[in-house]
Amino acid sequence: MTTAAAPADTDTATDTRGVVRQLTEALRPTLGPDQLITDLTRLRTYECDAITGYRVVPALVALPESTEQVAAVVAACAQAKVPYVARGAGTGLSGGALPVADGVVIGLARMRRVLDIDLANQRMTVEPGVTNADISRAVAADDLYFAPDPSSQTVCTIGGNIAENSGGAHCLKYGFTTNHVYAMRLVLPDASVVDVGGAGIEVVGPDLRGTVIGSEGTLAIATAITVRLLRKPEAVRTLVADFPSAEAAGQAVSGIIAAGIIPAAVEMLDALAIEACEAAVHAGYSQDTAAALVVELDGTAAECDEGFAQVEQICSHAGTTHLRFAADAGERMRIWQGRKAAFAAMGRISPDYFVQDGVIPRTRLGEVLSRMQEMADEAGLRVANVFHAGDGNLHPLVLYNAAVQGESERGENLSTAIAELCVEMGGSITGEHGVGTDKACSMPKMFSEVDLAVMQRVRSAFDPDGISNPGKVFPTPRLCGERPGPYRVHPLEAAGLIERV
Amino acid sequence: MQQQASTMPDHTADPAGERTAERPRGVTGAATLMRDTTGSVLLHGGATKLDWAGRVDQPDHVVDTTAMAGVLTHNPADMTASVRAGTTLNALQEHLASDGQWLALDPASGGHGATVGGLLAAGDSGPSRLRYGGLRDLVIGVTLVLADGTVARSGSHVIKNVAGYDLAKLVHGSLGSLALVAEVIVRLHPRPPVSTTLRAAADADQATAATLEVMASPLEPAAVEWVSASTGGTGPGELYLRLDGTPAAVQVSAGRLTGLLRGLGIEPEHLDGPSSEQAWADHADAVLGGSDETVVRVAGLPSAMAAQYHRAVETTRATGADITMVSSVALGMHTLRVRADDASDHAAALTSVRQHAEEAGASVLLRQRPAELDDLVDALGTPPSSVQLLRRVKAQLDPDGRLAPGRFRPWY
Repeated sequence: MTTAAAPADTDTATDTRGVVRQLTEALRPTLGPDQLITDLTRLRTYECDAITGYRVVPALVALPESTEQVAAVVAACAQAKVPYVARGAGTGLSGGALPVADGVVIGLARMRRVLDIDLANQRMTVEPGVTNADISRAVAADDLYFAPDPSSQTVCTIGGNIAENSGGAHCLKYGFTTNHVYAMRLVLPDASVVDVGGAGIEVVGPDLRGTVIGSEGTLAIATAITVRLLRKPEAVRTLVADFPSAEAAGQAVSGIIAAGIIPAAVEMLDALAIEACEAAVHAGYSQDTAAALVVELDGTAAECDEGFAQVEQICSHAGTTHLRFAADAGERMRIWQGRKAAFAAMGRISPDYFVQDGVIPRTRLGEVLSRMQEMADEAGLRVANVFHAGDGNLHPLVLYNAAVQGESERGENLSTAIAELCVEMGGSITGEHGVGTDKACSMPKMFSEVDLAVMQRVRSAFDPDGISNPGKVFPTPRLCGERPGPYRVHPLEAAGLIERV
Repeated sequence: MQQQASTMPDHTADPAGERTAERPRGVTGAATLMRDTTGSVLLHGGATKLDWAGRVDQPDHVVDTTAMAGVLTHNPADMTASVRAGTTLNALQEHLASDGQWLALDPASGGHGATVGGLLAAGDSGPSRLRYGGLRDLVIGVTLVLADGTVARSGSHVIKNVAGYDLAKLVHGSLGSLALVAEVIVRLHPRPPVSTTLRAAADADQATAATLEVMASPLEPAAVEWVSASTGGTGPGELYLRLDGTPAAVQVSAGRLTGLLRGLGIEPEHLDGPSSEQAWADHADAVLGGSDETVVRVAGLPSAMAAQYHRAVETTRATGADITMVSSVALGMHTLRVRADDASDHAAALTSVRQHAEEAGASVLLRQRPAELDDLVDALGTPPSSVQLLRRVKAQLDPDGRLAPGRFRPWY
């Protein structure tokens, strides 16, 4: 084993050194020495994103500070036919920013200027390294905000949101990143710089802006983004309703939707998830309930009051055993902290766990929950559930103990089977975490070979040589032989700086 | 036998021209048709937008999608539906109405047989885009047939989904130049229990200022529109604001909105029920314009509305041409209609409007013009910086250039 690997390693090392030398020489006129990372210790910082089970050390990390510098790095890569991976804050949950061996990571964290704020037209133009939360913070005093709110919003960047088409707990009502971007300046894989979108809501011809958003860094790098800002809603009301079963909670959600109410958010937690969250955060959820719903409405005060009274009635009708109303912004924040702590909190009740991100048509919730329970029983494992109940986005957490022989494999198989069950139900393998490296091998469950081939044709129009984030989104034989790792708490998450949903 | 009959295309005289139109019944029929033919193809649904952008060269084949009709699934509790793309918007709305839902889209061409697939390909929308988004925001899945007969799907039946590329975005605005839209999955909205419209006399400057004020307020209008008087007409123009919701909430909001407008010196009247519906039907007619007019749609900044209008009026004053603007002010989308006797006056107006818009970073889509104008103006305008990329996308999806040749010439 070692003797067989040794010559290959030497070759790789030589190649890597060659690549690094060629690229650093090409970039020296444009980038300062502090903008290129080549030493192994510092390169390791970039070896993974928040899916820490996949790790690859890149050959070089470039930290450009302008569109021109991004274009220069891409040009050098294109010239040398070296793959590159764009990276924001590295909070992604699908291995989308996993480096390519012998490739370049283009870190965009230094591009964090706000370029323009147009309050009258409710728009802001920012560089890709600006964090999601900083966009809203910059206009908070003017009662405006940026609607997409992924749970990592205090650290994740708008560039990453563009790549992943990020949503958040409020996307049932407000949509995803793609619904909130007017224009982007892009560096294409041939290093050309183009603008897509415009001052207005649309342009003449095909919607390239919408094509790039959510393409997970495989089509282009956005270096300036004009986002849409919304007026803050006048009123926000939040309640937590306990239910004797997940089915009863599901009925309440159906009732709310059937009443014509589009809630700002509806979240469900099962008993196992509540147990973990309470152990970690003490947000005041009832520990003796089978399921809890968090329902939030926003809008004008009149609309909100009326809808809230209706929601209360619907919950009672569905058999709620306890209602808790957020009395003020502080209590609302505590309720959300409890909900958002769910992933990290699992460590309190299980040594290891996988995080899943499937989507189902909401009406099939009962069916899916019982199938999941059967599958879990069969595998001899526990599954905790937290999900965005309004839009059917499930986050089953498969709990296991890696120290027990065979449990990781059973856990991994169960997690994958759950994602594929979602496709069977007419849903999706991923609602918000992206395909990345982690789910590329499940893509054929959702799309035909022909569908994927047509998507590849689109890709070829942008990136004929396949140098922009190769190995992501689309399945490859090499990748699909490898296995994902367990969920590991991101250091920032452990420190309480971010939460992930 | 049954199945064969359903995939065999009909052949009928086409409203778009003398040429016989092929009318496939579904995805398989459309795919077979594309695979088994060669030569150029004009795709259309309700044929309400054949004049948009460049003129298509006389095609070898015309494919009319209106026989690909029918709602495939509608799940009211999930608020989603899938339809064959040739289903008219009206037919879909009728189907959904019994469950108190709608596809939240109200384009002016809706009353004229526009189809769901055609609307997606055109990227068309109406006043309600302000609150609900356009089709790029409402379509969650699509089935396309490429020029070589390849059938490709993207998206799914769920609203929240980030798996794979979103091919629906790529065909949005492609005007039949990239692929045939065969099936569409959409998210739906509950029909609002009531709609109230406030109508007020307002000139372009007042309308722009009032719109910015309203958008900065916590009130959430479903639509904000301004219709100018015609150049020769009387009055300053009219501002329309629509509120959707429950009776109680709408009443409160209407009162607050009235107060806000009065503070700006604008006195609105309330239109409910039939009078509100009539106002919006008239508005749709105003967007479409007459068949002898030049019509352009400008998409830019909301605050630039008044300036855009004044520029257009100034240009036409010298020639005696008549201009009307219908603006989705809060969206920054303006439809400008030019009436004039001479083609050169149409051309001068178009050139001036486009120049002003392009300087402001706005886009200009030519929707309609008299045939005599074709030799005088460029249909597309200044190519975007992404023009090479557009050409590569076209070459990948339609390498033989079969679909709608001329539509985006000279861009691609």
